[in-house]
Amino acid sequence: MAQAIPVVTHAANTAAGADLTEGYVSQAAVMGRGDLLSGHLRLEATLNGEGLTMARGELSTGAFGEGYVDRRHPHTYLHEIVASGLGAIGPLTYSVSAGRGFAAFGTDDPMVRPFEKYPINHHLSQILERPMVTGAIRFGPAIVDASTFGGDEPASPRSSPSMRRLGDSWSLRATALPLPLVELQGSYARVASPEQREGFGLDQRKRDVSARLISADGGRYLLAEWARTVDRDHGRNEDVFAYESALVEGSLTLRGVSLALRVEQTERPEEERLTDPFRVPRPIVDLAISGITQWRTATVALMLPSPIFGPIRGYPFIEIERTTARARDARSVFDAESFYRSSSQWMFTAGVRLRVGSRHARMGRYGVAVPAGPAIRALGTTDSDASSHHHH
Amino acid sequence: MAQPLIRSGGALGALFALAFGVACSGDDGPTEPATNNCPAAAGATVANAMTVLGCGNFKPARTTAEIAVRGTLAYTSTWGNASTAGSVFYIWDVAGNTPALLDSVKVDNARTLGDIAVTDDGAYLVVATEIQSGSILVYSLANPRQPQLVTRFTNAETTAGVHTAEIGRVNGKLYAFLCVDPGGSPAKIVIVDLSNPASPQQVYSQFIGTPFVHDTFVRDGILFLALWNSGVAIWDIGGGGKGGSPAAPVELGRVQTANGEVHNIWWFKDPSTNSAKYAFIGEEGPGNIGVSALGDIHVVDVSNMASPREVAYYTVPGAGTHNFSMDEASGILYAAYYNGGVRALDVRGDLGTCTDAQKSTPRNQTVAICDLSKMGRELAVGLTDRANPVFVWGVQFLNGSVYASDMLNGIWKLRAASR
Repeated sequence: MAQAIPVVTHAANTAAGADLTEGYVSQAAVMGRGDLLSGHLRLEATLNGEGLTMARGELSTGAFGEGYVDRRHPHTYLHEIVASGLGAIGPLTYSVSAGRGFAAFGTDDPMVRPFEKYPINHHLSQILERPMVTGAIRFGPAIVDASTFGGDEPASPRSSPSMRRLGDSWSLRATALPLPLVELQGSYARVASPEQREGFGLDQRKRDVSARLISADGGRYLLAEWARTVDRDHGRNEDVFAYESALVEGSLTLRGVSLALRVEQTERPEEERLTDPFRVPRPIVDLAISGITQWRTATVALMLPSPIFGPIRGYPFIEIERTTARARDARSVFDAESFYRSSSQWMFTAGVRLRVGSRHARMGRYGVAVPAGPAIRALGTTDSDASSHHHH
Repeated sequence: MAQPLIRSGGALGALFALAFGVACSGDDGPTEPATNNCPAAAGATVANAMTVLGCGNFKPARTTAEIAVRGTLAYTSTWGNASTAGSVFYIWDVAGNTPALLDSVKVDNARTLGDIAVTDDGAYLVVATEIQSGSILVYSLANPRQPQLVTRFTNAETTAGVHTAEIGRVNGKLYAFLCVDPGGSPAKIVIVDLSNPASPQQVYSQFIGTPFVHDTFVRDGILFLALWNSGVAIWDIGGGGKGGSPAAPVELGRVQTANGEVHNIWWFKDPSTNSAKYAFIGEEGPGNIGVSALGDIHVVDVSNMASPREVAYYTVPGAGTHNFSMDEASGILYAAYYNGGVRALDVRGDLGTCTDAQKSTPRNQTVAICDLSKMGRELAVGLTDRANPVFVWGVQFLNGSVYASDMLNGIWKLRAASR
């Protein structure tokens, strides 16, 4: 499967109070998945071209991570390459996965969810592009998967992980499927120094819980999520900063037309910015932050059926997002209202999801940890699109 | 490279004096200082509070960073400036109790002016610029109220950002010791010969620090380096008897202080005894600027520089230390303590000998050492009694007063502590 999303975004009162209109190709990716050895070996790979199509990052007021702020960073070219071995012992199925990809933590990658703009909590709710080994077992409606991985985040699209760091971090996720198409998830992770490649930055302790519902045809989808990341100074063995997020999103598709709504409250760190107000220093130059900002967002998206048929499909969409930002503590030196020159911000986005081939229903899990179920139709799912693998 | 100064004009000071100064003017009596524009908190009771003489007649909208005081003038730098606004440093008349803004000087192509220092002869002001592009600016203080830019020194080695620029004289020659941020390459120390301030010459550079080198302290041909998680290094650069020089330093010793995060250093030379036994090490833990900070002061016995060792410490729960200054004649260390205000510590005498009851175990350590608080070494506390929160970056003792740069409020003048 290959996809790309040409988009135009107008952001009012984004970083430094600017009103900007920009266009680029977002989420340019080629994904492949294949089963070998009668399904006992699965290979998955995702190449991401955002380093070429949106090197400056995608305008996204409130977004943060990997040195970008108020822009979503481009992902690494080698986004994911994972091999999984799968097996069964009676009613219990198991898998072991290794490669570069997602650690067993949190919710699906936003790339397979109904909005083009990522939620602000991306770096609180997913751990991705890491060298990892993940084991998973499934017994009836219960799934447990755990990863050991390297904590360092990519610093650029070309970043390769520090193999010296492999194994310095771990995560554990439990998933329950109490009813068909209903999924409850809880995760915990300890991530060593994600922001400082040599390992001397703050560590993170992360938690995430979620409930996900989807109808059998993928036409109705609902996700509720809570996440919390605590920064910890390992030298002093002391928690120092904490960031919390709550998110609810859903979508409804009728006759090929989809409507999606997302509301989110997420806290993010503020750092001293570079001359480019959308960037902060990487590598970091100290362990200080200039505040914690609480963001509230409401996003509505409307997606239309593809007007073209054949191997290439294009699904037009528009998204409107309103955000507000305020300091969690009024003593902070970062004053959001002053910086954005407004107490609220708007983003208007229009684009087309271009796709060839069937897309994945889920992203962020491997082997037997992938629950069965359809893809969310709001992304323009066609009848030929794959459901995720079933494991019994 | 000459660069024109962009000034706010002398009218600025007059304007702010009109706006704020009336309440403060004409009231510089030491017993009842005028602090109308920075009042004490209602009911504030701190037994050993330092007397606040006054605060600046102008509260900068920018975030204040370091302070340098000479004579009756103070210079304060600014941090985290908007790229469109450029950076500035302020010039204050501190002859009276209320520091009065005289002027401001704009520095282009810098987000932060994290360090500012006056040479020992008062001839030059050196300002460090940080986060792309890193440099030092050298200003002539022929007229100290109107610094004139002499040169801006930058090269590929400094461009990642100059975090601090300590100025010191080694065998009569003036040098700047630049702590350069990690960028495309690891952090490094760069030593620059300033004997011709119009034409600074780099004489040495070295990747160093894990992962940062944040500050240095130079005295008598010995250079102390704050190497974060690599602790403190002590180099002979001309006074250590090992043949070192600024162009070819020779390491004398290293020490790892509790919990690392070594940020700044003061090597105390007691003029009454000529003892130079102790170095004070500032640990800068993670901080949320304006809100919270962490980090202790570590006392290192350097009487044997080949084998320095930590013998005592000082901690303030819920607050973290930053830069130091000393009244060496009185043996009093002043520490900027961010949200903990200013701390004045009696550091004369033996700091490494104490009773068991005077010992504590530093956080996340297993061995108890002397605790300056339990030893009764805390003489005074400043600025914790104000109505508005403070976040003190730097301090300087001079002539019976202590000047503090406060990231949130600008500049303060306090009466120095006494024994």
